[in-house]
Amino acid sequence: MTLTYSPGWTASIREVVIGATASEGGTRRVSYRIGGEADLPAIGPGRRPLIAFELCDDPAIWPEVVRCACTSLIDNPPDWARYVDTILGVDLIRLNLSSTRRRNFIAYDAVSRIVRDILAASSLPLMIEGSADPDIDSKVFQQCGEAGGKERLVLGTAEAARYRSVAAAAIAYGHAVIAQSPIDVNLAKQLNILLREAGVPDDRIIIDPYTGALGYGFEYTYSTMERIRFAALKGDGDLAMPMIAAPSDSLTVKEVRGSVHSHETAIAWEVATSVAAALAGAAILVVRHPGSVQPLKESLKNLWPEGGMI
Amino acid sequence: MALKALDIYKLLPKKNCKECGDPTCLTFAMKLAQGKAEPDLCPYISDEAKSTLGASTRPPIQKVTVGMGTLSVTIGEEFVFYRHEKTFYHQPGIMYAISDTESDERIREVVREIRNCHLTRIGIDLLLNGLAITADSGSPERFASALTIATAGNPDLPLVLMAADPAVMEAGLGICGNYLPLIHAADDQNLEVFCGLAKKYGAPLIVRGSDPEHLAALTERCTGLGITQLMLALSGDEGTFVRYSTLVRQLALARVVPGLGYPVFYDARDTGFSGAICGIAKFASVIVTRPLTRTEMQAVLVMRQNIYTDPQKPIQITPGLYRVGNPSRSDPVFLTVNFSLTYFTLQGYLEATRRSCWLLIVDTEGMSVLTAVAAGKLSEAVVKDGIEKFRLADEVDHKTLIIPGYASPLSGRIEEYTGWNVIVGPRDAAEIAAFMEEELK
Repeated sequence: MTLTYSPGWTASIREVVIGATASEGGTRRVSYRIGGEADLPAIGPGRRPLIAFELCDDPAIWPEVVRCACTSLIDNPPDWARYVDTILGVDLIRLNLSSTRRRNFIAYDAVSRIVRDILAASSLPLMIEGSADPDIDSKVFQQCGEAGGKERLVLGTAEAARYRSVAAAAIAYGHAVIAQSPIDVNLAKQLNILLREAGVPDDRIIIDPYTGALGYGFEYTYSTMERIRFAALKGDGDLAMPMIAAPSDSLTVKEVRGSVHSHETAIAWEVATSVAAALAGAAILVVRHPGSVQPLKESLKNLWPEGGMI
Repeated sequence: MALKALDIYKLLPKKNCKECGDPTCLTFAMKLAQGKAEPDLCPYISDEAKSTLGASTRPPIQKVTVGMGTLSVTIGEEFVFYRHEKTFYHQPGIMYAISDTESDERIREVVREIRNCHLTRIGIDLLLNGLAITADSGSPERFASALTIATAGNPDLPLVLMAADPAVMEAGLGICGNYLPLIHAADDQNLEVFCGLAKKYGAPLIVRGSDPEHLAALTERCTGLGITQLMLALSGDEGTFVRYSTLVRQLALARVVPGLGYPVFYDARDTGFSGAICGIAKFASVIVTRPLTRTEMQAVLVMRQNIYTDPQKPIQITPGLYRVGNPSRSDPVFLTVNFSLTYFTLQGYLEATRRSCWLLIVDTEGMSVLTAVAAGKLSEAVVKDGIEKFRLADEVDHKTLIIPGYASPLSGRIEEYTGWNVIVGPRDAAEIAAFMEEELK
């Protein structure tokens, strides 16, 4: 007799498709199906979480430690994207339109240009983190959505106070949406309902529970993710979306900034946070330090030896 | 399911013989119900009653102590699968592994690394917990001499002795057995002898088997020999560990396999840093890893602190007037709450601005700004109290407070009640640098 335990799950995580290959109407060399699991992370059949590398179009606000690690690449986002794709070998690229965070931003044309440039530089599926200002969101996301054509991008970030622009662009061009709520299972649920009412199909929503940095509230994120996964497996369809963890605050914490070993610290912080987030249910892990990719890959390979299929 | 005292009483022999130390079977039953006595104390109890009681009076996971004195590590006695259900109680002991084939100097170096690891975060000291010595030499003499070196001047450092050969283990226990080291590990071959050694020294014993079913069978044999301070060894890569550890925890909490009601030991020597993180998240109670780099060690200790923080009790910082940098009498004063996370986040961003300032922390019973405002724990009276108690007026020669953005509804009342001017700061500490640049030129 082999010991088993049945936790009584009744449902599974909804699947979301990211990226479109030529046969799917896009130009990506691969597309991914995330979600689909019917048990706890790394238990039972499941898909290995994807690693996304985040780059930006205006590195002035980017963490110092990443600017050092990526050297002059950061001044040329398409080169940066090629490096991330071919040398680091990640699964996804996330473009952060950090230029839109500048005061009095008006360079909307540049948005569609940079999106097209990144799509041309790398054939990996693309996620875009757009503006965070209701006054410009509409134009920025419209540009992103259009430039992304039929590529099935992932657009972010929708929040309860400002989700209409990103939702509209996603609906119009068939992209998916990242729905971010401040580390709270009920607010995550509420936002998913708002997005559904705005017309975003359930299978195009990815939950971002907001990732507190290790040592700065990560435990709240960890438990919120566990609760979301639990609710989903118990049948709550409003929370049965795959999750993304973006430990983006991790590289600005005091330990990383103040350390003489800032690269090693950055990597340890990103990898530790990502591995724990994967165990709590993240389907996509976003990192910013190039040194984090290999150790994280190794760890995920051990946790999900089967890789992809369900 | 916990049994009531009267249900337990029905299972006892009702002889009132006092041999258990209690005056009557009923008082003994009451102690059992509270988990303050073990069924084994009753010499006449039936095996059937013992197994029923064993499964219901003990916590679902046995409490185990490794080492003696202030450095000793207590583990087990866990009640939940998810930390949000209640909390995880006993954080895992993290031990660095060293082989007895390494040089004496290297052994001393690793012991120093463990002892010198002091990391203080949010007012709490984070420590590495001990040393695991593996008997790769196969020689009883070398194992003993390696332990003599490791314990010289450190008799209280918790240890894991890792040897399969009873003669080697016995030689090791001869050096440090009285300090309750963790014995790794009893298996099919050596179980009787290892149980004998564990009994002789009163030391906790780890059992090692191929899977949870095998482990349960081994612990049953050990308890049959009177050993109850037991741990279950898991090893392998992160995925194997997580799958077995999850199953063990689920079955232990469900109390369906009594032989699995013991804390888990994870031999993470092959998986290192990432293995340690998985061990912390997924129920390991002792984690043995190769010595980590300093930055990996910090991340591991902080992760352990995060996961084992009680979700029901916010960690608080002592209210007071704190300095960021070297503030002068004209530098700005920021006010915030005594929720430690708020404090440390704000302090970090203030330091990053490279400008000196004052930080007035008022007592909101550990609530964050938003919850403190909503619950009335951050009020004009609390602010006034803080200003007076910490003598703010003696330290600065202006009368302006910068309050958190989420406390903006209180700004007018604070001004009226305290006589200080109020500037409303940003909601998010990350915006503090921009705020200072624009508002406080």
